[in-house]
Amino acid sequence: MSDQVTLTIDGKTVTVPKGTLIVEAAKQIEQEIPVFCYHGKLSQVGMCRMCLVEVGTPMFDRATREPVLDENGVQKIGFFPKPMTACTTPVSEGMVVKVDSGAALDDRKAVLEFLLTSHPLDCPVCDKGGECPLQDLTMKHGSGISRFNYEEKQHFPKKYPLGDLIVLDMERCVICTRCIRFQSEIAHDPVLAIENRGRHAHIVSYSDPPFDSHYSGNATDVCPVGALTTKDFRFGARSWEMKNVPSICNHCGVGCNTVLGTRKGGSGTGQLKRVMPRQNETVNELWICDKGRFGHHFNESPNRLTTPLIRQDGQLVESTWADVLPFIGEKISSIKSANGSTALGGIAGARLSNEDLYLFQKLFRQIIGSNNIDHRVGLNANFEDTTAYTVGVGVGTDLSQVGKGSTILVIGSDLDQEAPILYIRVAGASVKRSAHVINIGGRRTKLDAQAQTSAYYQYGTASYLVLGILASVVAQGLVNQEWIDRHATGFSEITKLLQDFAPDSVADTTGVSSAEIEAIAKSYAEAENGIIIFGHEAGNDPALGAAIEALAAVTGHAGKPNNGVIAVLPHANSRGAADMGVVPNRLLGYLPLEGEAGLSAEQMLSGNSIKGMIIAGADPASESDTYRECLQNLDFLVVQDLFLTETAQLADVVLPAKAVAERDGTFTNLERRVQTFDVGIDSPLLAWSDWLILAAIAGQLGADWGYASADGVMAEITQEVPLYQNMAFENLVAPVSLDRQTDHYIYEGMSFTADVHEGIQWATVAENEQQKITLQLVVPENHTGSDEITLVTPRILYDGGRLLAETDVVQSHVFQTRALLSSVDAKKLGLNNGDSVTISQNGTAVNLPIQISRMLNEGTILIPRNIEGRPAERLVGSSDVHASVKVKKS
Amino acid sequence: MLNEVKEAITAPLEVAKAMGITLKQFLRGPVTNQFPDEPAQVYPRFRGRHALKRYENGLERCIGCALCAAACPTECIYVEAAENTDEDRRSPGERYAKIYDINMLRCIFCGYCAEACPTEAVVLEHDFTLAEYDRWDAVYSKEQLLEPNNPEYLVVRDDEVFVKADTWSSK
Repeated sequence: MSDQVTLTIDGKTVTVPKGTLIVEAAKQIEQEIPVFCYHGKLSQVGMCRMCLVEVGTPMFDRATREPVLDENGVQKIGFFPKPMTACTTPVSEGMVVKVDSGAALDDRKAVLEFLLTSHPLDCPVCDKGGECPLQDLTMKHGSGISRFNYEEKQHFPKKYPLGDLIVLDMERCVICTRCIRFQSEIAHDPVLAIENRGRHAHIVSYSDPPFDSHYSGNATDVCPVGALTTKDFRFGARSWEMKNVPSICNHCGVGCNTVLGTRKGGSGTGQLKRVMPRQNETVNELWICDKGRFGHHFNESPNRLTTPLIRQDGQLVESTWADVLPFIGEKISSIKSANGSTALGGIAGARLSNEDLYLFQKLFRQIIGSNNIDHRVGLNANFEDTTAYTVGVGVGTDLSQVGKGSTILVIGSDLDQEAPILYIRVAGASVKRSAHVINIGGRRTKLDAQAQTSAYYQYGTASYLVLGILASVVAQGLVNQEWIDRHATGFSEITKLLQDFAPDSVADTTGVSSAEIEAIAKSYAEAENGIIIFGHEAGNDPALGAAIEALAAVTGHAGKPNNGVIAVLPHANSRGAADMGVVPNRLLGYLPLEGEAGLSAEQMLSGNSIKGMIIAGADPASESDTYRECLQNLDFLVVQDLFLTETAQLADVVLPAKAVAERDGTFTNLERRVQTFDVGIDSPLLAWSDWLILAAIAGQLGADWGYASADGVMAEITQEVPLYQNMAFENLVAPVSLDRQTDHYIYEGMSFTADVHEGIQWATVAENEQQKITLQLVVPENHTGSDEITLVTPRILYDGGRLLAETDVVQSHVFQTRALLSSVDAKKLGLNNGDSVTISQNGTAVNLPIQISRMLNEGTILIPRNIEGRPAERLVGSSDVHASVKVKKS
Repeated sequence: MLNEVKEAITAPLEVAKAMGITLKQFLRGPVTNQFPDEPAQVYPRFRGRHALKRYENGLERCIGCALCAAACPTECIYVEAAENTDEDRRSPGERYAKIYDINMLRCIFCGYCAEACPTEAVVLEHDFTLAEYDRWDAVYSKEQLLEPNNPEYLVVRDDEVFVKADTWSSK
């Protein structure tokens, strides 16, 4: 039998794959079947009964199995006596479906009358009004009057806080359970449930704190009525009043496609009312995390920098661009002539767009003549990645398609905290599509529950473990020799080195048994598609990157779609910063630097050779006292930022920059996808885009660049960087406006798709037939086990970053400074929750309250990075991930 | 021949009839309304300056739903909503209008806003003297609109003739 099934829907014939549901088949011929509980990404429950249709199948004689024919010799169609739910009934050959027949229309009218028996009909004040499936479908299919007694309407509290970000209005709920299914099937935070039955049924959250999930905002999108709404948008604007601007989330490297709902206010200034996801199946599907959705209120913070500031008599005072720019030019020129160009350095945060970063390196390399540039401070500090250049995931990779026969190896990354949407996609690949997900880390993470295999290494031995896996691949003969011959050199050299790293010999060091290592190696090497995702907890060891690159290459899991490596970098444009060569030892586009490498951020901020600096979008002063001291001793410091950060407070000149929502540009995401964002709202009057500031500084130093816009800068990047040759703005953006799409929000839960702004990935070396990868291994540093407690410093979602600090609505989620300790260690030390401990390492001591965590193994204490007071950075330094510490009760 | 005779007889009669009308109007006195010395007369359904109504207990009827702004063909209404709290209750439900501006220079007094209003909060009243010396003064704020304005210089006529819809269609 063929895999295709042909059926007739309202007289139109359609052929679809076997197993397709009627509602999906109808969508293909644009015959809309109304739904509430059905959602393509969730399981089918058939709860709302809105999709009732008449279904008939060809008749066969029961005894003989012969077709039953009518007088014309055509096979009769036998209709089922009752209507069927189109969202749970799969199609069958010859099926006849009546969607717009009288009976089906009557059924739907009746269902709507039932659904509306207790609905408050408060559409005028409901935030969903205007984009509400219930409202639309009632207008289309409803009867207009109700026969139910108004007095018997069910009443619930109107504004019930389901979590501190989500408001529940139970009267509006139609019990479709989309939110419950989203939380358990997609977010894997099964915190919602229905309590009670019948007309008393209502949604409850069982977690403590309530609705404890990083993805709670998506429940408001999939909600087909106004029952779940977000707290910060409450009564913010009506949906039709907003202009919807396509943008890219600026909070992590996943690069989720978003829509900025903006509204021109009475005074004419644009306000950012809400951020919603934009469907892009290859990046974020339909989802964004709560940090992306709620963490935009920094834009309208009263603490934003609004004018240039200049230091006069020790105080920063307001100034004008016309005054500060010549001053900057003069000071930089004088430092350059007095101390040479190498006395000047620059740090650019990886939040800046590609255009800013390109001009930043151009300013330093071409105009100033210094290689002292870096983006690796803050969360980027301990994590640099070049594997994406050689063996990054192939162009066309789509994690939402990765399934059976694929292996995803996650090494040293807590995806739920570091890149939440990547977590949803990896967990989905495992749970929904049976990909083999192997989660390797130093501690238990949320992904363990969805991964088929988990392994835990001793902190600091991740590179040993990867080398062990690689050695096992070679030993088991699972090498893809054909791929190596075509794309790589140096394989024979690395096999020699690998003899020291046989699974047996690394098992002791890593704490992962050789059988486990061999099984992991086998699964990864034999998989049809293999993806490695590695994060910063795996360590800052050059041996690790080299080993991962070699592992992907020798197994042939590179250079094609759904194969390759993803490094979980922290910031929105960490990938772009590496691409644009904002590092001291490499030029843009990963070209080697001829001549002497410059100083890294850490070297610039710890030595005293630097006299003048430009720091754009980074705050090193908050990280360590050494950095702060160094910045204080500079002759001249220019800072361009959104806020008066601790670094900006030390500056001689502070320049106000525009935030992402206020300008256009491009970000490159973890999968090397270059995506554009548009201007959504007005900036403070005197704020400039970072690229414009840099161009103006270059102008003061005698350059005549003449860029008129960000896309002008990108036009030059396409010429200068071969990897970016297709990334001109006109290729990234199609001229389509973002109109709300009614059918889209009925089926998908929100209105916007990414037919525009889909982004383009650049091709890796592995995809280039002309280039070969040189396989090289680095011997990892000797790992000495220690009896002391290991302090680990992972990244978390709700950290103490400045952008979140300026966003009131998420404050209750921000990590309160404390240390997490395993219950075993806590018992040993005689500690209870909330007790204060002294954690010391190399003479630095920090006092913190502790919280006992069951997720940690014995001998581990956890302090997240970038939290209030920066205890993690103070203890382990900014470029390490873990350290042995002494813990005692204080 | 016959026509000429007929004309000779009827023409003076026609002239006399016309002069009669002229004479009648001449004696009738002026119709000019000496506004503003005398009050102007408007019909009850005359559409003038808007007002935002209150309930009898003093709470505002407006819930800030912005349907008036959506219905407005000239986009002269700007509404921003906010949430009622128990301490600061402006309207009966959850939501009230924090800002409610109408730009009277843009308004064409079509009355669609009043028709769209689900709570009968915005209505068009009779005041038409909306000239200002400053354009910005023509943007009426919520506070102005909530103030009832029943000027002395207006008299609402009570002789409005209501024509039934079916009598229209039959003609």
